[in-house]
Formats: sequence, C-alpha cells, structure tokens
Amino acid sequence: MQHIYLDNAATTALDPAVREAMLPFLGSEFGNPSSRHPLGVGAREAVDLARRQVARATGAEPQDVIFTSGGTEANNLAVLGLARAAAKRGKHLLIGATEHPSVAEAATALQQEGFEVERLCLDSGGEVDLQALKALLRPDTCLVAQMLINNEFGTRYDIPRMARILRANAPQALLHVDAVQSLGKLQLSMGELGAHSLAISAHKVHGPKGSGALVMAPGLRPRPLVFGGGQERGVRGGTENVAGIVGLGKAAELAELHVNSGAFQDGRLRESLRTRLQEVPGARLLDPGAERSPAVCAILLPGAPAEVWMHHLEQRGLYTSVGSACQANKQGIPPALLALGLDEGQAKRVLRVSFCHTSSEGELDALIQALQAIERELGRLN
Amino acid sequence: MKQEHVVVARYGELWLKGRNRPQFERVLVQNVKEALRSITKCRVERATGILVVHPESRAGDVARRLTEIFGFSSISPALAVGHDLEHITSAAAQVLEQAVEGLPAKGKITFRVATKRAEKRFPMTSTELDVHIADNILGPYEERMVIKLKDPELELGVYVRPEATYVFAERLPGAGGLPVGTLGRVVSLLSGGIDSPVASHQAMKRGCEVIYAAFHSYPFIGESYMAKIRRLVRSLARYQPHSVLYQVPFSEIQVAIRDHTPHSYRTVLYRRMMQRISSVIARREKAMALVTGESIGQVASQTLENMSCIGAASDHLVIRPLVTFDKSETIDIARKIGTFELSIEDEPDCCTVFQPPKPIIRGKLAICLDAETSIDVEGLVQAAMDGCVREVIE
Repeated sequence: MQHIYLDNAATTALDPAVREAMLPFLGSEFGNPSSRHPLGVGAREAVDLARRQVARATGAEPQDVIFTSGGTEANNLAVLGLARAAAKRGKHLLIGATEHPSVAEAATALQQEGFEVERLCLDSGGEVDLQALKALLRPDTCLVAQMLINNEFGTRYDIPRMARILRANAPQALLHVDAVQSLGKLQLSMGELGAHSLAISAHKVHGPKGSGALVMAPGLRPRPLVFGGGQERGVRGGTENVAGIVGLGKAAELAELHVNSGAFQDGRLRESLRTRLQEVPGARLLDPGAERSPAVCAILLPGAPAEVWMHHLEQRGLYTSVGSACQANKQGIPPALLALGLDEGQAKRVLRVSFCHTSSEGELDALIQALQAIERELGRLN
Repeated sequence: MKQEHVVVARYGELWLKGRNRPQFERVLVQNVKEALRSITKCRVERATGILVVHPESRAGDVARRLTEIFGFSSISPALAVGHDLEHITSAAAQVLEQAVEGLPAKGKITFRVATKRAEKRFPMTSTELDVHIADNILGPYEERMVIKLKDPELELGVYVRPEATYVFAERLPGAGGLPVGTLGRVVSLLSGGIDSPVASHQAMKRGCEVIYAAFHSYPFIGESYMAKIRRLVRSLARYQPHSVLYQVPFSEIQVAIRDHTPHSYRTVLYRRMMQRISSVIARREKAMALVTGESIGQVASQTLENMSCIGAASDHLVIRPLVTFDKSETIDIARKIGTFELSIEDEPDCCTVFQPPKPIIRGKLAICLDAETSIDVEGLVQAAMDGCVREVIE
C-alpha cells in the first residue's frame, strides 16, 4: 500500500537532489578536509560551499556556521556552550515554555554548574508572555532560549519583539532560537530575528539525518562540547561529516526555494485543512498564537485518544503523529495546550499533521476521507 | 500608496561628482543589485541624492548588506508612505514604537523629529511637520521622552520627497568610498597573508575593480594554498560584483632564481618577477595599476630600497594602500572586512619556500639587473603566462 506521509515535523524524505549532491562524498571523494592534497582540498571546498549555502539560507555569515551532528547537538552547543562562555557576566538562564528537550534538558544540566534556570510562560493567546519575560530578565541573565515555531502546534513566536525587549532590558543576554522546525517554512534571517544563535537540522528539510548546524551572530564563540583537532574554528572537534554537511548545505539551499512555493504559499494547505475539518464531526484545527507555521497543524479530535486515531490512519496508509515524536511517550499536558484552555481529556485527543513542500490537496482529501470513516467507525464503538 | 518597508541609502562622495554622476549612479545601482541578489528580490530606485531599495523581504538584512557597498555615507531601513499627513504620522508612530523597544527600558530618552522636505508642494513646512508628528506620536511615551534638538539619542527622520515620504529611526554608517568599477581596474598581487587582502579592499574603496594575481609554487607548496587564496577572494567578493583570479605557476621561476642568482637577493628578485607578470596581466585585462600590500619596513623586502628595486620591474603605477600602516592598523581592517581569520590559517606561501637565510635589506637596482642577466626573464614570464589559469570567482 502506498502511504501518505504527513509527519514531516518528525522527519522528512531525503530529496533526490540532496542524495545526488552527497553521493560523491560517500564514494571517490572521501578526503579529509584537513588534508592538504587535492582530495582533502576538494572535501574542504565542499564543506565551505555547504557553509555558504547554510549562511545564505539563514541570513548569516559563512564563518559563523558551526556544523554539528544535528539539531539536538546544535541546541546543546548553544545552551551549554554559550552559557558557559558568558558565565562571567551572569548565570541566569531563561528557557521558553515549550522548548524541545535538547534545549530544556541542557539547561537543566547547567543547574549542576550553579546556573539558575527559569521558564518563560505563554499567555492566554498562546504567545510568549512578554510582560512576564520583562519581569524575569535580570542583570545577570546570560541566555534566553526560545523556539521560533512550535513543533507541536505550529505557533510562530514573535522573536524580533523578544529580541528588542532583551536589548532594552538585558542587553548582556544572548538570544538562542531553535529554528529546527522553521527552516524551509519561512524565510530565516538572523538579523531580522535579532537572534544571537540559531539551531537547524538537515533531516527536517529533506536532508540526511545526523547533520545540523548552529548559526551564530558575528564574534560569538561558544565553549566546545566536543574537543578535537581544531575543526569548526575549534568549537566542534572531529573530522567533518563531509557527506552529511554537503547534504545539509544542499537541503538548506532547496529549503530556501520551497519557502515561497507549493504547499507553503500563504499557508494554503493549513487553510484548506481548517475548512475541510468542518466535514469531520467534532474535529477542529487548533490555532494558538497570532501567527502560525503553514507546515505544522494540531487537530483536536472527538471521542477516542489521538493515539487510536493515529493507528487507524496508519492502517489506511496515512502517517501522522501524536505530540512530537520526541515527546510522544511523555506524560503531562503540553503548556501550549494548557494555554489554549484544553483540559486533560482534550489534550490526549490532539493529533499532529505536518506537511512538506510536496504535500498536496489530494493528500488532504485522503486525510479528510479517512478521518470521516474513522469517526463513523469509532462512533459505533461508543 | 500603501505603507512599504524600504531601505534608504544616502550617497557619499558620489554626491560631489559633477557631470560623471549619472554614470557613477548607474554603476552603483548595478553593484547594489548584484549584492542583494542572494538576499531577496528587490527593485532599486534612483532618487535625488539617495537610492531607495524596495526589497520583497528581509529589509534589515538588505540594510546591513548595503553598509558594505562602497559609495554610501549612511543607510536607513525606513517605512515608505505617501504624502497623506495621517499616514506619515501613523508610520512615525510605528517606527518610534520599534525604536523605543530597543532602547533601555528605564530613564529618560532625548528625542527629536527631523523632517527634510524636498517636496515643496507639501502644505506644511519642515518645522510644522516636526511639531505635528511629535505632538501626535509621543503620547504613550510622554513621561520618558525629552525633546532635544541637538544630538538626541533618538532621532526620527522624515524625508518628504516627490516620490514618497520615508520615515526612519536608524542610521547605519555606510562604507564610504566610491562605487567599485567607476575608477577603472587594478591588478592586486594576492598572497595568503593579512596585508594583500586589505590592500585590495582599500583599492575597491576608491572605486577600483580588483583583479587578483596569485603565485603558486606547486609542488613546493600544495593545492591547499590555492584553495586558501580562493577562500580569500571569495570573502572579498562581497565588496565587488565579479572577481577574477589569475593563478600563476611560479616554481620554475623560483628554481631559476635559486640556482642562478645571489641568494640574499632571492626575495627581491621573486617579487620583481611577480611585478612583471602582474604587468602583463594588467595589460591583458586593461588594468591601469598594480596594488600591493607593502608597508615600509614591515619585512626585509619592504625597505625603501627594496621597494624601489621591486617597483622598478614594471612600468605600471604601483599603488601601496598600506604603505604607512602599522601592522595593528592593517589587522583591525582585516578583522572588520572578514579576511583576518582566513589569512591566519596556517599555510606556507611561495615566498617562504627558498627563503634566503640572510635576505638583503638595502638592495641595489644595479645588482638586481645584473643578477637577472643570468636568467631568461622574458622566457620565464612568457612561460608563466602560458601556464596561468584565469578563474572567475562568485
């Protein structure tokens, strides 16, 4: 059975063009970028090209791109590395209400080193509570970490505004932005965001797994997590994952092209989904916040827990998810759902559908039909 | 006219040029379009004394990028509106709100509105408009804002011009200089060091388009040296639209000099050969001068005597932008223009191969000329030119 993949926020299919770009580096072009013979020089040039591609897609400078083993390491490097480097100026951290564990757990680990970590909260509209942010900022706040697009509901948080508030109230504090769900969904620009660092991941944008980057503002130097032979300006040791880096570069370049095309144009697919869900009794799209990603949609379903819906959909060849794949097994109501006023029962009935640039109205049709059928089926059971 | 995010860039010295100005402006527009191509789609409009860029998105990035383009004195991201007083005031309120959010949250802020009214049909005078805008937008900040006409911390600029009204609070310093390409072409002798990229940048600043010549002593030094040179050229490519790099094979020349001339003169003689070859490249590329990173007394080959000996090898004008710079001054610029980190990457260059143990400090031209009778200068230059590779680097 051919499947319809609607779990692109978990991971995406490798783009053939990305695979094509990577292949030579899994074959004859196996040089070490640090070698001074032509094989090494070729590898180094490939890594440099990827650095420029990533820089261009994020509005940064090539020398400020640090390649990592993925989004998790990029977030770890930002939180641990930047906080440790800034520890002299203060040991107070603020972490967004809905941060991915790669941010939140890293911050928790810093508590062992004498850092004080506090969490931001969301307001009733599902936005970052900016008044609370102002109140929490202190002269010793060294880092604020806030995701740009919520990986479960698609809320797009107002980072530029947060950045201005930081500049005014705690100019010493750095702003780290987890943009893992944002690349390829909206135009990313370090400058426009006012961020000091940005984490991205290749496999969320049709690149390979095991490849990501931390993109920084000029002049920043996080303490390394991985020590080695001076690669990545000494910030991240270890021989470069050349094929993975090349894949990330190509994927970032393509992601930039997809931003204004296909399914993401004006949030077309998200709007369709909202309208079409009226055809499924008891179902509706959750719309937290003022602005939302066109790619990540949370659906509140009637009756059975989302897990049940998910498996019934998968039986029909439609792949979706419950919560984010990274958190699917955890207990508790996510803060973003609490902010929407959902109770515990409702929180369990939230299904995530996430699109990519090739997602189509046809796939949406199939989803709606399947949901209608499952609704009838599950309804009979009650 | 609906409200639009634009970037206003003010001409620098260009404004002083007389009859050449339209041509200078055309080149500048081209350079701007080329520089912004990788950031966003945009339309570039020429207005009196300023360029107005209408980007589809990323206006902030566009503004920052323009600070690197030679020919502007300052740059402002702005809101463009029509001539309707209500629209102007509302734009001013928005710009002010953003600007205030980025200022210290406590304490007084000195402030003024500065209107420039080039559209004389506009019914209010500049001062009337200043007062009207201030009166209508300061409400929410009344407690904090103190009007100060001289050097306020926050200046809200309003340009009322025939095509539109621009409202802005930010003024980023421009790169100054003249548009690259308006003052002709030069050939810059690029080594992997700190100086020559800075010298190249300085030449661009004065409107010169730079063609690079790099000398490669393969197999005495590796391909990774040329890779480093390419990285440097690429990093400088942000300051001029197109970059051409000549890779000149140089080992044969170095071997000939090593084997047939007094060893203390080696470095001076290498450099004379580089100068000659660069002159040939300059003629081929219709360039009018050579650029080097020499600075008096910095190394043995850069004494006045040796620089005279080296300069005499070519009849082209030799420009040495760093001639009176201290090393620290050069390093400061290298850091600013983004070449320093690349320059200090550990990589031997062709002058460190066959370096004499005791280089001559006060070279004499007569001895250079005499030494060169032992080698086939013309043949070696010709062979180097035959073997050189011309590469366009984006």
